[in-house]
Amino acid sequence: MIEIKNLSKAYNKGQVKAVDNLNLHVQSGEIFGFLGPNGAGKTTTIKMMVGLLNPDEGSISINGYDTKTQSIQAKSTIGYVPDNPDIYDRLTGIEYLNFMADVYRVSPEDRQKRINDFLEMFELSDAASDLIKSYSHGMKQKLVVTGALIHNPAVWILDEPMVGLDPKSAHLLKEYMRKHCEQGNTVFFSTHILEVAEKLCDRIGIINKGKLIAIGTMAELRQGSGTSSLENIFLELTEE
Amino acid sequence: MNLFFTLFRTNLNLNFGISALKYRFRKESKKIPETLLIVIGILFGFGSLIGLYSFLMYQVFSAGLNLGQPEIVLTIAFVSAQFIILIFGIFYILGVFYFGRDLSMLIPLPLSPYQVLGSKFAIVMINEYLTALPLLVPPIIIYGMGTGQGFFYWVKALILVLATPAIPLTIASIFVIVLMRFANLRKRKDLLTIVGGFVGLLLSLGLNFWIQKLQSGNMVNSIQRLIESDLIKMIGQSFPPSIWATLALGGQGFSGFAYLLLFLFVSLLLLAAMLRLGNQFFYKSVLSGQESTRKRKVLSSKNEHRRFNSSTSPMMAIIIREWRLLLRTPIYVLNGLSGVIIGPFILVLLFFTQGSAGGSGSYTTEQLLTLINRPEFMITGTLSALCIVLFTAGMNLVASTSLSREGQTFWISKMIPVKPKVQIVAKLLQAYSVAFLSVLVTVIMLALFFKFSLLRIAIVFSLGLLGSLPLTALNLLIDVLRPKLIWTNPHEAIKQNLNGLLGMLISIILLLLIGAGVIFIVMIKTPDSLVYGLLALVLLLLTVPSLLGLFNAAERTYRRTEV
Ligand SMILES: Nc1ncnc2c1ncn2[C@@H]1O[C@H](COP(=O)(O)OP(=O)(O)OP(=O)(O)O)[C@@H](O)[C@H]1O
Ligand SMILES: [Mg+2]
Repeated sequence: MIEIKNLSKAYNKGQVKAVDNLNLHVQSGEIFGFLGPNGAGKTTTIKMMVGLLNPDEGSISINGYDTKTQSIQAKSTIGYVPDNPDIYDRLTGIEYLNFMADVYRVSPEDRQKRINDFLEMFELSDAASDLIKSYSHGMKQKLVVTGALIHNPAVWILDEPMVGLDPKSAHLLKEYMRKHCEQGNTVFFSTHILEVAEKLCDRIGIINKGKLIAIGTMAELRQGSGTSSLENIFLELTEE
Repeated sequence: MNLFFTLFRTNLNLNFGISALKYRFRKESKKIPETLLIVIGILFGFGSLIGLYSFLMYQVFSAGLNLGQPEIVLTIAFVSAQFIILIFGIFYILGVFYFGRDLSMLIPLPLSPYQVLGSKFAIVMINEYLTALPLLVPPIIIYGMGTGQGFFYWVKALILVLATPAIPLTIASIFVIVLMRFANLRKRKDLLTIVGGFVGLLLSLGLNFWIQKLQSGNMVNSIQRLIESDLIKMIGQSFPPSIWATLALGGQGFSGFAYLLLFLFVSLLLLAAMLRLGNQFFYKSVLSGQESTRKRKVLSSKNEHRRFNSSTSPMMAIIIREWRLLLRTPIYVLNGLSGVIIGPFILVLLFFTQGSAGGSGSYTTEQLLTLINRPEFMITGTLSALCIVLFTAGMNLVASTSLSREGQTFWISKMIPVKPKVQIVAKLLQAYSVAFLSVLVTVIMLALFFKFSLLRIAIVFSLGLLGSLPLTALNLLIDVLRPKLIWTNPHEAIKQNLNGLLGMLISIILLLLIGAGVIFIVMIKTPDSLVYGLLALVLLLLTVPSLLGLFNAAERTYRRTEV
């Protein structure tokens, strides 16, 4: 469950208002798609949710934990995949995953099972004992996804997770997201692939210039605008 | 040619961070005092070094004048400048030509290899003026003024100084280009870093000893001996351009100009040869071997089982991560670890060379040893040893760049559910274990070479460990207060990081203060045990606030830093 109230954030001493009084509620068991043009404020919102940026105003609660006052508890329930991950080049894949498992206090049995499942699923088993330095972009992305989900977090927060993944891996990840939600967990992700959002998401939010301009199920969005495809809705709403 | 200049300008800009500096002055006016302070500090440091060098060169000039060979000072200057540029140039050029991050961006551009190479060479050349100018200008002025030279001397001198880096650098470049063509060192970058580092270290050590020698004996005498031994001529003959430079400056009229032309002609010839060679080979060797090694070891299920089964506490996990990242980055090993271990060695070596120089004023090593172990020098010896121990602990770059080294991966530390305090304790423990190592090495040295008794060893060891803790904490605190998280090359995190310098400075100031206090209480004839007791108390009292300050700062930095 994610609860965002009156969230605002400006860069450069207030000159660039990246997120402007945003209110958002995502239920448990829901996949929520976060759409918006480049520079709309998606990454900024997400970074505030996971504690990388401090909000100027407003509050965020993740699974009932306030990100400001109960940050450690909130962080333990989050699995976060950034849009452009820089990770430790000079660790091997396994060392990185073990590090993540250790800091999230994953038991040896759980970690063994999950790591094996993910490595198998993403076909990373071969490369796992190589230095991350030698990974391709997509391999790195898959490793970061694995590391983020290793503690089976109740809330997934993913910033454009499909970028760089091959069709098969992207497909598997989508299935995994679906399965995760069916177990009563929450998935929140940003994307530019409208098709994915349309098919996968229970609800969709569209942000433009820091403001949430539409939110609802596909059916609700269609009703509101009168057009049928998400593409048309998106273009219509984000037009100047 | 236009393209070449664009490239050159961009490189120049990147090299000296001109845009960044402009930005800094325009946007972050708060940081101006800090920048100015740094500049003044650097100028002061350089100024005193140049002063010392000028004095030395003046001695050489006077000695030469006595022997009727005043030009010797010029030969020495040109030989040493060109030699130093040659040696360091090899590593520098390797780095700039072949390991630059901009290569992957430059190669796709519609430029010929020689244009890229030329612009990079020009940058190296300009940087080498920083080496050439301080080495050449003082002797040239000393000679020019000393022998009353006219207008043409100064014109020739200007041209020569500007041209000096060219010959050694083209030779270094040709060497590097050929080397890279046949031995693909791009894969061996880590090894090269270590080798380069040690060559630099050896050279500076050698220089140190040489200066030490010069200072300990009668300087004028030894310079005279040096000149009479024809050593300089020999070196000069094996590297004729420095003789030409001397003759160009020292010679009058036509012969002087002839040698100047010869010098310039050879420089241009070498430059042309280098570019020609580079045009053929440069891209080929750059393009081959851009891979990092992969083991491609398939995990056997048993292997897997073991690997995922080991779980540790978050703090331990962070300590392990810190050690792995440190040990696998050569530049960190070289700067973070070798200093700590080599430091004690240098001190001991210096002690022995000092002792065995054997002039009338100094002791022999044996005399010194008995002196140190005499009862009345007991406390002085022990405290000096402790001072060395604490000094090496205070130079701990592992602590003062700990947070900076995380760089762009700092988001991970912000994201994981581990309290900043726990993370910082992990970093403190890592840095402290490095300090522990250096204390251990120094103490072993003291026992082996200085024949310290067990009790003294125990005192030095325990007080050393106690004192290293606040020093390590303070070094870490500096990095926590002003971490440098934005960098692309690990060099920037450890070598070009001001925090390392600040950490050393604060440690030195602190040690000086404590030292002054200790000297005072020893002077007023306080019993030895009380001196040690008081010292322990002071170090303990220092530890508490530095740790508290560190934890507080960590909470704040981890919370406030946005990534
Ligand atoms: N570090 C920063 N400093 C200053 N301004 C920033 C910074 N990061 C983002 N911005 C500004 O904040 C606004 C929102 O950026 P954000 O990265 O959140 O967009 P986004 O929706 O994630 O875009 P994209 O689809 O391109 O990823 C933009 O106007 C951007 O210029
Ligand atoms: Mg984004």
